[in-house]
Amino acid sequence: MSGAFRKNLKWALIYLFLIIASLISVFPLYWAFVSAFNNTQQILGGSMIPHGDLLTNIRNLMDQAAVLTAFKNSTVNTLLVLVLSLTVCSIAGYGFEIYHDKWKDRVMGILMLSMMVPFVAILVPMFQMFSGMGLMNKAMGFVLPSISTPFLIMLFRSNARAFPKEIIEAARIDGLNEAQIFVRMFIPTMRPTYAAAATITFMNTWNAYLWPRVIMKSNEAITMPMLVSNLMGGYVIDYGVVMAGVTICTLPTVIIFFFLQKSFTEAIAGSVK
Amino acid sequence: MKKILSVLLVLTLVLSLTPLALAEEDGKIVIWTWDPKFNIAAMNIAADMYHVDHPDVEIEVQEVLSDDIEQNVATAATAGDLSTLPDIMLCQDNSFQKMVTNYPEVYTDLTDLYDFEGFGPAKQAYSIIDGRHYGIPFDAGTVVGAYRTDYLEQAGYTIDDLKDITWDRLIEIGKDVKEKTGYPMFSGQAGSVDAIMIMLQSCGASMFNEDGSVNLKDNEPLKEVVADYMAMVEAGVFVEVNSWDEYIGTLSNGSVVGTFNGCWILATILSLDDQAGKWDITNMPKLANAEGATNYSNNGGSSWAITQGTDVDLAVDFMQMYRNVEFYNAILPTTSAIATFSPAKEGEAYSAPSEFFNGTPIFATILEFGEQVPSNITGAYYYDARNAVSTAVTNAMNGGDIDAELATAEDTVNFAMGF
Amino acid sequence: MTNNANARPRRQLTLQKKQNLTGWIFLLPATILIVWMSFYPMVRAFIVSLQRGKPTALQFSEPLWRNYERMLQDKVFVQSLINTFTYLIIQVPIMLVLALIFASLLNMKDLKFKGIFRTCIFLPCATALVSYSIIFRTMFSYDGMVNAVLVSMHILKEPVNWLNDPIGAKAVIIIALIWRWTGYNMVFYLSSMQSIDYSIYEAARIDGAGAWTQLTKITMPLLKPIILVTAIMSTNGTLQLYDESVNLTNGGPANMSITMSHYIYNTTFVTSPNFGYAAAMSFVILLFVAVLSGIQMKVGDKR
Repeated sequence: MSGAFRKNLKWALIYLFLIIASLISVFPLYWAFVSAFNNTQQILGGSMIPHGDLLTNIRNLMDQAAVLTAFKNSTVNTLLVLVLSLTVCSIAGYGFEIYHDKWKDRVMGILMLSMMVPFVAILVPMFQMFSGMGLMNKAMGFVLPSISTPFLIMLFRSNARAFPKEIIEAARIDGLNEAQIFVRMFIPTMRPTYAAAATITFMNTWNAYLWPRVIMKSNEAITMPMLVSNLMGGYVIDYGVVMAGVTICTLPTVIIFFFLQKSFTEAIAGSVK
Repeated sequence: MKKILSVLLVLTLVLSLTPLALAEEDGKIVIWTWDPKFNIAAMNIAADMYHVDHPDVEIEVQEVLSDDIEQNVATAATAGDLSTLPDIMLCQDNSFQKMVTNYPEVYTDLTDLYDFEGFGPAKQAYSIIDGRHYGIPFDAGTVVGAYRTDYLEQAGYTIDDLKDITWDRLIEIGKDVKEKTGYPMFSGQAGSVDAIMIMLQSCGASMFNEDGSVNLKDNEPLKEVVADYMAMVEAGVFVEVNSWDEYIGTLSNGSVVGTFNGCWILATILSLDDQAGKWDITNMPKLANAEGATNYSNNGGSSWAITQGTDVDLAVDFMQMYRNVEFYNAILPTTSAIATFSPAKEGEAYSAPSEFFNGTPIFATILEFGEQVPSNITGAYYYDARNAVSTAVTNAMNGGDIDAELATAEDTVNFAMGF
Repeated sequence: MTNNANARPRRQLTLQKKQNLTGWIFLLPATILIVWMSFYPMVRAFIVSLQRGKPTALQFSEPLWRNYERMLQDKVFVQSLINTFTYLIIQVPIMLVLALIFASLLNMKDLKFKGIFRTCIFLPCATALVSYSIIFRTMFSYDGMVNAVLVSMHILKEPVNWLNDPIGAKAVIIIALIWRWTGYNMVFYLSSMQSIDYSIYEAARIDGAGAWTQLTKITMPLLKPIILVTAIMSTNGTLQLYDESVNLTNGGPANMSITMSHYIYNTTFVTSPNFGYAAAMSFVILLFVAVLSGIQMKVGDKR
């Protein structure tokens, strides 16, 4: 009896903890969402409930900003990075772990240095390179620097450590070549890692701001985060419009995460064993 | 899986090679500016008016934030590739000297290309470097004192009691108003030193000497300003908030009596529909002791620059619009952009009374204020000095000695200048 | 006979060589891209760090390491260094432990609404800076929610002006960072936990191991590689911290919460630009991250 009670109490505490944590986590996003329904005075007055200004805010947003263009550009850029980056980095991560030796480990260590310098420092040389290559205002200009990141390589490398070597040996005996092993064995097994990597890459790319500001200069190349920050640039800030922009800008990540989180946590329980 | 991947890869390549924008053509003017309701709107009206006589010239106004414009100028100039810059771009007045001094190859010397007669001298001073003109003045940042007349009335004052007064008198009134209504007089962002810069310029003083050397340690007007500011905060007449949003919030929630700031703040006040008729404007208080003290100052505002190596003649021809009274009258109703071009005040739009502000013709009033603003020296190290003063004032407010803090601030700026 | 005997090992050797070569080919695209997109600009930036003068007329300084020497006399830089390391030391451990706890809880078999909880806890890092910085500033303002709650619970005697207090401002930044990045790190732990069999935990439970013992004795050792990755990433991220310093406190009061990256950005674009000095400071960050990552690798990456 008391054992069951303790167990229930334990669960109650766990749920309480998670609910409080969830509320704290979601609060600013909830507030942005609610504020999309409010006007500046209500927002700066700290209103936590939606009023009736959503349509006005969206109409004003559409009037002063090219939301559709920005949304389209952000989608194209993000999909490009997603596909290229997951491909390149997972291949590299696999290579570093499965064929690892002293030299490859050293190369990995050196590659990691590349993420350690603040972006401001390499901004001018980067700009010089990209304007020289004629990649200003082009999706490829946006994409190229974010394809290969030490972080994703490390992620795939460390998760590949759990990939059973016997599978590889067995596959080699079955006559599969190294590329086939990667595509047929590794990719399906590593679905959780791919899903996690995709989520993070999507979020990082979708929200990227510093580099696009440098490389995307024409109005036609604007991205969603640029659009949101443009809304804050004037003498008068309409916070209702800003929050409508913020909500539109955030929703895709929320949706993507909600659908991907299942695949990086539940789908593969059986395939590793 | 493989098929999807390869399709996506092909798609990727195709998409990545499609340019998102076309290259710039001749006979076209590209403009960078940042506020759709303000300077972008003004430029679009200028473009429409220019098209009447020049239907063939294509004018493209692009929205680029002020910080981004500066950053783009810096990267383009350093990389030696000006082709990515537009023909005309807007620049904050406080940044103008810094930008031209550091990136002289970007900015066209307009001294012999443009007629600057009629623009206020204090305004022009921002974009004059070594006696040469680099900027065509746009909007004024003339400081106004804007007050809630309903609050003042409750405490037994009128707007005229705040006209032509000193800061000492303001503090007296402020204490009285706070006692009777519970509202502090002003609000401002802690650490931003906007208020201090406004007060300093009102007597024509600067953080620099004529020769460009830094002047903080023995700057008597600055010390008076800091003392007045601290007295206001201590008396509860000026309440410090932590961010811009909170500052705007104090105005929109009606938790302060008023504000003193660049006239562009009126656009925010005008958007508060429920407060119509409750506001009025007058000039700002002045320093009691400083030499040359006035009730007028400036904060913010911006000017247009023309990029070197573009079709400068075409750009200059287009910019003649900014010497056109008709143009200023056309932009005023939609943008509330107040000109620094004196002849504009004869226009009808300027003399129209504003119902929101108790029937005061605010635009004409501000233009008149603008003519009396003393000029100051910004220089390339303006923001270095500003940050240093901000640190000094914050430390002084927390009990530090202001003389010692300003001496440290001077050292900090000298350190930055000695790179 | 002898021929045959010799041929076998040789063929195996070539097989190994072949695999080794395949390994290198797998690394090649990623490596080329990083060298091209990062190392080449970094070398250029390093050269700039040895130079001084106007941005468009940089010249080698005399002595060459002048910019590096200069940092020690720069009070703002030293302050930014202290601030950044304060954030690092306090924030990263708390955040990673919290992320592990969340991941373990959300990996429990019998927990309901996992998807919703996971999404909620992940969301902070996807929340736009604009909205969360306004909310944080409002909550931590003098008459804000945090003071109201703490005072009514008698934790504080009187309200604190958090953002205008040297310690309060740092505290707000640390709280904001933990809030923002815990869910992000949780994602990696969750995805790695999928390779741990539930039966291990069941066996441990039968042996009488409590939740904490399970976390420290089973989960953490098995997740060591990914914990290392997140530790390195967080160290790197915090040492390059920029957003919170700019948007929450603007470095204030009086530079008491400014970060190194924020100061570097100011030196490059806000104040009169000093590219050489900014580049030199950037390489100091690189040095710190590299050394710390090296230590973390030494401690955590033993095979």
